[in-house]
Amino acid sequence: MNLTTSHLIALLPLMLVCATVVIVMLAVAWRRNHFMSATLTVIGLNAALLALIPAAQVAPIQVTPLLMVDHYSLFYMGLILVAALACTTLAYAYLETLPDQRDEFYMLLGCSVAGALVLVASQHLTSLFIGLELMSVPLYGLSGYAFKERTSLESGIKYMVLSAMASAFLLFGMALLYAESGTLSFTGLGQQLSAGGLASNWVILGVGMMVVGLGFKLSIAPFHLWTPDVYEGAPAPVSAFLATVSKVAVFAMLMRLFSLAPATADGWLHTIIAVLAVLSMVVGNLLALMQSNLKRIIGYSSIAHLGYLLTALVASDGLALEATAVYLVTYVATVLGAFGVITLVSSPYRGADAGLLYHYRGLFWRRPYLTAVLTVMMLSLAGIPMTAGFIGKFYVFSVGVESSLWWLVGGVVLGSALGLYYYLRVMVTLYLSPAEQPGRDAPHDWAQQVGGLMVLVLAVLVLIMGVYPQPLIDLAQMAGLQFPI
Amino acid sequence: MEQIAQHWSVAIFVVAVFGLCAFMVGLASLLGGRAWGHQKNTPFESGIVPVGSAHQRFSVKFYMVAMLFVIFDVEALFLFAWAVTVRESGWTGFVEAFIFIVVLLAGLIYLSRVGALDWAPIKRAKEIKTSS
Repeated sequence: MNLTTSHLIALLPLMLVCATVVIVMLAVAWRRNHFMSATLTVIGLNAALLALIPAAQVAPIQVTPLLMVDHYSLFYMGLILVAALACTTLAYAYLETLPDQRDEFYMLLGCSVAGALVLVASQHLTSLFIGLELMSVPLYGLSGYAFKERTSLESGIKYMVLSAMASAFLLFGMALLYAESGTLSFTGLGQQLSAGGLASNWVILGVGMMVVGLGFKLSIAPFHLWTPDVYEGAPAPVSAFLATVSKVAVFAMLMRLFSLAPATADGWLHTIIAVLAVLSMVVGNLLALMQSNLKRIIGYSSIAHLGYLLTALVASDGLALEATAVYLVTYVATVLGAFGVITLVSSPYRGADAGLLYHYRGLFWRRPYLTAVLTVMMLSLAGIPMTAGFIGKFYVFSVGVESSLWWLVGGVVLGSALGLYYYLRVMVTLYLSPAEQPGRDAPHDWAQQVGGLMVLVLAVLVLIMGVYPQPLIDLAQMAGLQFPI
Repeated sequence: MEQIAQHWSVAIFVVAVFGLCAFMVGLASLLGGRAWGHQKNTPFESGIVPVGSAHQRFSVKFYMVAMLFVIFDVEALFLFAWAVTVRESGWTGFVEAFIFIVVLLAGLIYLSRVGALDWAPIKRAKEIKTSS
């Protein structure tokens, strides 16, 4: 197959991100300057974001058998790039006073973003694995970036060991599927499996192992144990990145895998995923109830949210794609806002992050705007109307009702009710009378900093999406999957 | 049926190999005599009296450089794969290989600037710099 100009244009966002990493690396080799590295990264990510426009004009186009650049992947690429930009902005404020080398952070972030972009465009198990590893391996380094903190180092090592194990599961599963079907492309797999049925034990074993591997990356209930520890230990901007970019990329890929290689022969896979989804909703919400650390709470809540989202995966028809897109956008905006506030309170870097709820006691009396942002985010996570979270949850609900998945709908209702308790608990803490000793505090000029501006914009965005979601819905409807010819 | 017979023959072969090893080593240790002595416990170095302890300390840099070597060595494998199909892959392949090598070169420049390739510990490197 020959690469033509339109193929290159379709790949431009990915290539720009890769080029950014190399340029930042050379810039660091030339002269270390935190501001310069961050600026170069932001310019590169913005250029990639702009490159989505010409790419959208040539889409849908298949670039080698590995990648499919269609409106679906471009939509998620845009989401990933925006989230990465937000994380870069947050990281700049956070890393400013890190007593170590700060520039490598941006290189690792760039590599991880490139992996995520590959992942959302992949339509082949090879590119799936390459993308997944390219995304995860830099994340080990990122989550252990403040390695002088014990918790950060611990989270990095924990994530590395468990993630490597999950990758091993995934690879073994792929190998078994390949042994059975003789193909690695999503559509080829779908045809082979629907022709031969899912009867073979090797297929069941292979698909099961892939579910374990991907379930780990998405922190679905029985494979969720790493999530709170890693979220707590990793520097706050990295936690934001983990909770948004890596989840979005893996979920978008999973959705494509399910749509192109439907495993609906006798539905056992759907039953398994439905059970995992309900388990995630219940376990995530129940475990979050007793936490006293805000980062852990968001970690557990992300388990629950992925559980809600799996409803769309189980349905995987009708509104499912649209619901996934809307839900992921609202979730990303909300979690970025929440972690943004945590980052701003914890930055500039002064030892471990301010994660304990105690640190946030009476934040309102010191930082009214910051508190307002966090309040909006908590309301959105709980799915209260007028916020973006409600729109996402409404979509998940309608998908569940449309496909008559009553158990899952029941799980969403139960989970939301449980969730309300701990989200409100966080909010109450914010408005209590301040602690005797003032704990960690955001720097006074936080609103002038780009990070402060960004969380404000996010809060406004979350409210707008909650009140007037039509533009978002239109965008999500455009993000249709392209089936390869 | 024939396949099963083949599998069995392989299994028997594997068992026989391990059995033979165990037999030779085990029987020798049971039947053979043993001699004890002070000199018997020292490492054998072709008749020369060993000097110093075997617990030598390696600089961490050693692992660092070894790791970098392995990384770049593995990259060379890709170039071998390209080299055998250089005519078939044409200019596209050439450009891609060129980009690959440039990225590697950028990585190498970065590593040498960061000081990952300096053999001497930082403290000593500074002393050398100031003395010269």
